[in-house]
Amino acid sequence: MSKHTHRRNGRILAIAPSSRGFGFAVMEGGETLVDWGVKSVAGDKNADALKKVGAMISLYKPAVLVLEDASAKWSRRSRRIRDITKTIAAMSATAQMKVALFTRNQVMRFFFEDGVGTKYTIARIIAMRFPEELGHRLPPKRKPWKSEDYRMGIFDAVALAITKQVRGK
Amino acid sequence: MTLSQLPNYLRKHRKRLGLSQNEVAFLLGAGSGAKACRYERFSREPGFRTALACEAVFQRPIRELFAGLYEEIEREVAGRAMELVLKTGQMKSDRQTARKRETLERIAASKSKKHHNP
Repeated sequence: MSKHTHRRNGRILAIAPSSRGFGFAVMEGGETLVDWGVKSVAGDKNADALKKVGAMISLYKPAVLVLEDASAKWSRRSRRIRDITKTIAAMSATAQMKVALFTRNQVMRFFFEDGVGTKYTIARIIAMRFPEELGHRLPPKRKPWKSEDYRMGIFDAVALAITKQVRGK
Repeated sequence: MTLSQLPNYLRKHRKRLGLSQNEVAFLLGAGSGAKACRYERFSREPGFRTALACEAVFQRPIRELFAGLYEEIEREVAGRAMELVLKTGQMKSDRQTARKRETLERIAASKSKKHHNP
């Protein structure tokens, strides 16, 4: 098998942790979506998620790992999500890759000029940008009495990856 | 920056088409979804017939589906072509040798050109 061990390969792995697991997206060269999906976790959620993220890192050998900055001042993410974000970011040192953290506001400002929008609008923009890959994964708009669809994790991760690709932080 | 490609992009194309690993395995005549999984995880290379079946299923050329593998093989072929170029240098110079040399130089150069001008 070919050895895709280059660190400077331009491949990005974006992880968007959620209460059920995490959404992920692997992008190459700015325009190509290589892999995407949602992984669910059970039991010790953080340990399970770390194991799955580790497996993805060893499979795709990304040059950059992108995460939401859950420790930002106005972040409303839970303690568990903050912990796992820190732990995943720390994995980058051993895997020799860069880590990019973006706050929710930075992602919003990237997609909307005035920085005001919704996650669902971003998901629709992304589904239009990758119609073949993600068009059929776009969930219906959430009703106020329903919890968030698990597929939104994919769009959160892709939004982070696109923000990184374009802003090149 | 040179983009080092993954050995194959079967998972990307399977997901794009909304197929499961079991369905792809069935279409490829590969038995169970476990085999399709091993191809996607780069732990096993498909045979020639299966690779052609992949092209038929995903409607993409083999060199695109197995981009990293193709890149590796192309590099090896270019290296061997270079060896032959050196050998033809010792041959008597006639039109056929010149033609052969031209072909081999083109094969040897194609890969290095792609590497230097990605």
